[in-house]
Amino acid sequence: MRLRRLVVAVHRDVGYFFAGLTVLYAVSGVAVNHMADWNPSYRLQKTRHEVGLVADGTAAEQGREVARRLGIEAEPMSAVRVGPGLLKVFFEDRTLTVSLPGGELEDERRARRYFLYEVNFLHLNKGKGWWTWFADVYAIGLAALALTGLFIIPGRKGLSGRGKWLVAAGLLAPLLYLVLSR
Amino acid sequence: MRRVLSLLVVTIIMVLPALAGEANKKYGAGVTLDSAVGISELLAAPDKFIGKRVRVDGVVTAVCAKRGCWMMLTDPDREQGIRIKVEDGVIVFPLEAMGRKASAEGVFEVVNPAGEKHGDAEHAKQAEGEQASGGYSCAEQEKAAKKASATYQIAGTGAILY
Repeated sequence: MRLRRLVVAVHRDVGYFFAGLTVLYAVSGVAVNHMADWNPSYRLQKTRHEVGLVADGTAAEQGREVARRLGIEAEPMSAVRVGPGLLKVFFEDRTLTVSLPGGELEDERRARRYFLYEVNFLHLNKGKGWWTWFADVYAIGLAALALTGLFIIPGRKGLSGRGKWLVAAGLLAPLLYLVLSR
Repeated sequence: MRRVLSLLVVTIIMVLPALAGEANKKYGAGVTLDSAVGISELLAAPDKFIGKRVRVDGVVTAVCAKRGCWMMLTDPDREQGIRIKVEDGVIVFPLEAMGRKASAEGVFEVVNPAGEKHGDAEHAKQAEGEQASGGYSCAEQEKAAKKASATYQIAGTGAILY
């Protein structure tokens, strides 16, 4: 009985502590699961334009001229010729890929997806550092939640009752997938 | 309750800097070699460098949009670029790196034209298009990239964005 009280206490407090992060990771999990269909962290928008013949000059000069013709007021961060007849002009949040000398270009704008960028940053551990250790603690906490959860309810609705069948059913899904995907 | 709130505030304060600026940020093991090899030098005599650890400097002209698992580093004076491929998830290059100066280090290697060495044909195809065309991923240029006899890349172990 004392052991069950301990199990309940651990489950309750670890659950409270990690509840927020679990919801964030769940949101990110769904977002990155479908990475093949969309970019979960950035919103990318591509448009095509023609700005007319671009005169010879340095990459920086040509970049500024193209930006001016497009009505972009910001100064390019950099401009680089990346191959014969191809110029890339970089801004903080957009990139122009210009075909020279014709002036046909692709304008790619990018913006971080509000909220999703941050949760994916955490979930995919892009920042590394101490977050790696915190995420390890979180993983151990999840395991503790799962294991203590098994023993909270005694009797017919507990692990010895229908609980064991639900645990088996939950394990069956990944096993079945592994067998079928071979 | 106060303790929990304090912990939350501390966590947020510690996470925010990581989300903020990317200036002079080290990725992976960073850069340990003092001198860089020119990208055009690598591509002109690849056999001389294959299997060797090299450092290259340049401007980031493309980044893997979905996973950040590669970036194209271009020598702005020679109009040539090389792909820096890193292990998925181990190093993640941000899209904000585009247009920034960077140094990268790793082992110079050759990949087959289909670029399937790392088992990610989609990424390799995109990157080969970037390497052949300098970043202009239209269908014809991707086809041209596929016909290329060999593609080179650096298996990156680290980088610094300036």
